[in-house]
Amino acid sequence: MLGAMQYLKVSVPRYPPDEEADYCIVGVGSAGGVLLQRLARAGFRVIGLEAGPFWDTERDWVSDEVGSHKLFWTEPRVIGGTDPVALGANNSGRGVGGGSVHWSGFTPRFHPSDFRIHSQDGVGVDWPIRYEDLKPYYELLELEMPVAGPAYFPWGDPHGYAYGPHPMGGVGDVLIRGCTKLGIRVSAGGPVAILSGSHGDRPHCIYRGFCNFGCKVGAKQSTLISHVPDAIENGAEIRDNCMASRINLGKDGRVTGVTYFDPEGRECEQKAKAVIVCGYAIETPRLLLNSACPGFEDGLANSSGTLGRYLMVQAGNVVLGRFPVRMYKAPPAHAMTEEFYETDPSRGFARGFAIQTVGPLPIGFAKQMMVAKGAWGWGMRQVMMDYNHWAGIALLGEILPWHDNRVELAEEKDRHGLPVAKVTFHLHDNDKKLIKFGTNKVMEVMGAAGADDVVQESRYAHLVGGARMGSDPSSSVVDKFGRTHDIPNLFVCDGSILPTQGSANPGLTIQALAARTADYLISQGADVFKTSRRSMETPSIRKDLSPPGTWGKGVPRLK
Amino acid sequence: MPESDSSRWPVNPRTNMPIPPRAQPGYYPGFSTLSQNNFWDEATRTVVLRRVEVLPPIRFFLPQEARLLKAVCDRILPQDDRDDAHIIPIVNSIDQRLFDNRMDGYRYESMPADGEAHRLGLRGIEAIARYLFGRSFEEIGPLEQDQTLKTLHDGKPPAAPEIWQRMPVHRYWMLLVQDVVEVYYAHPWAWDEIGFGGPAYPRAYIRLERGEPEPWEMDEQRYEWKAPETSLSGKMEPIAGTTKHNTTPDQGGTH
Repeated sequence: MLGAMQYLKVSVPRYPPDEEADYCIVGVGSAGGVLLQRLARAGFRVIGLEAGPFWDTERDWVSDEVGSHKLFWTEPRVIGGTDPVALGANNSGRGVGGGSVHWSGFTPRFHPSDFRIHSQDGVGVDWPIRYEDLKPYYELLELEMPVAGPAYFPWGDPHGYAYGPHPMGGVGDVLIRGCTKLGIRVSAGGPVAILSGSHGDRPHCIYRGFCNFGCKVGAKQSTLISHVPDAIENGAEIRDNCMASRINLGKDGRVTGVTYFDPEGRECEQKAKAVIVCGYAIETPRLLLNSACPGFEDGLANSSGTLGRYLMVQAGNVVLGRFPVRMYKAPPAHAMTEEFYETDPSRGFARGFAIQTVGPLPIGFAKQMMVAKGAWGWGMRQVMMDYNHWAGIALLGEILPWHDNRVELAEEKDRHGLPVAKVTFHLHDNDKKLIKFGTNKVMEVMGAAGADDVVQESRYAHLVGGARMGSDPSSSVVDKFGRTHDIPNLFVCDGSILPTQGSANPGLTIQALAARTADYLISQGADVFKTSRRSMETPSIRKDLSPPGTWGKGVPRLK
Repeated sequence: MPESDSSRWPVNPRTNMPIPPRAQPGYYPGFSTLSQNNFWDEATRTVVLRRVEVLPPIRFFLPQEARLLKAVCDRILPQDDRDDAHIIPIVNSIDQRLFDNRMDGYRYESMPADGEAHRLGLRGIEAIARYLFGRSFEEIGPLEQDQTLKTLHDGKPPAAPEIWQRMPVHRYWMLLVQDVVEVYYAHPWAWDEIGFGGPAYPRAYIRLERGEPEPWEMDEQRYEWKAPETSLSGKMEPIAGTTKHNTTPDQGGTH
């Protein structure tokens, strides 16, 4: 049997605790992992603080739903609003690799239109960058992860994938059949950050379907296996089980370091010449809010009052269809269509949605049936006996950024005595219209595929926003390179800086933005540490900083 | 409760005859995920075997609460179609989750912490049973128990308003049902029942095409059955209060 091929080096202490680092990165997840790798390779002294563990994938991860509870951020948080967002396993990772450990791995790019929805559709806000700014980083990360997908992907900026698509299982087949019958174009076998063939020291996918519970195989990308090994090789230090509690501000208006609780619960401080917060859409605003201090009473880098606001999730309604034949197996991320991605004025709402395959395992499926059918008791037992007959495809719909959807601090404290996040969420009129139309369309596709029973469960997917980037310091938290408007040596780089989200899964965009921010920081050299000069010059892309195996022999090329 | 009470058994809809309990209900007789455990990785094998072999002690609930919860779980997921040797224990694992304070990573603003919600909910269920039938939930018959629980499913509990003011009834209902299914469908016997292949690392699934069974899986052998007359849960209706955009608690990300 093919087992683990990759051996991960554990991070060892490299820097004395009282020594100042160049960069302290808070959160070693999707963005933090890429940043750490780039900055270490460029020769900076960089330390990553991670609230969760450094995983030993063979020992710590299991092919089991309940046994994988530890992969998720399960510290207390409070949710509210008219349409509260479930957190935890739904969207919040913990441990080195962060959300990329439990994501399905769908890696579509954002469309060019996503960067200017205010100009184009009169909703949301424009990004301070364009698709063209991010395109070279999309291409780069698609090779670094790498992404498997079709040779031709027709939507947005049409492109192809260098690594081969996956074979189709029953659920992918359902989406393809349903779409084809309705004349909807469909992408098969990706784009997904899962290896269809072995690559370097990583094995190919074995189609066991546990993507959302950590890929023991090593076929699915997480920054733990794609970027962190190279970061450590190049001198980065990761301190795992270390929970940041506040970022400290010096008298000169520059941050001086990060206070954190070490694995034994002792409070320590790591001094750094610059700090990059990579805690994702809930913990990043929470840390900055918890770092309030004289001059920043409402939260560090929050002179705009937008910190924690414009939080977004995507509509993720799951449509389940029963088929006479057996369906299960294969990765959840398998096939998709973006045919409905752009605004169509005839629908009566702005922006659009994608349709993607999902692959709930038994417990997840039972919970979906609890909601979708109201199942319990004998009804639950009976519908579960048909588990193998059900296929799931889901809406991935764009919800717009709204001022009142936000992260604040609750009264409640966590085990370190830190106020926990309170997350308030409301759906607005455009969102509701989009969800209704999109869900009906997904149900139509399921019906066209031949399902004899079609039900749906309302839910959300992903989290972004909360520390958005923009050109105007009065309405955004960071500039187009992730530097906070207020503090020259404090950066944010993770999903929280996204001003809008399209209807593409955010993982690729988050990692691409991290590589771009890294190039910017490297191009600025010591200026970041010493001056308040804010260069807005776009750096040139550093393809020489990719992890080993990205380029060269045996690596496919794109025209 | 008399274990051999055939009025509690599922029924063959053609003959209307009760179907006696068996070791493995479901359409895959003889299929055993556990029989494949030599092909699993060690960490997974340890976790799953421990689940089958070790029954966690009751440490969170008081004895009378645990007894009541057991009676409730027997209706939330009845196991009257399983023989005595193959009942999947539910309450102990829920107790363990609450004792270990293993939370989902969020709490609805309108809800107390999970442990307190369970305690309150049990008090509410008991109050409803006494209101409707004048006796304890544990003493009434299966149909009366289902009638009691269905008031929660339907969002119309007729008693204990002070409890349902402290927590929305549909949120408690979903917490209860999901905690029960999370224990039941984590058990390899339940995987066998539904034909789920279970862990497949490092050996791999090899047959992707339209979900065809692996060489070590079984072809389905369907039989017809319906819920017994002494139950209300065979017919599925939406949970009251969930018509709006409600995300379900805690499910692995599916995108």
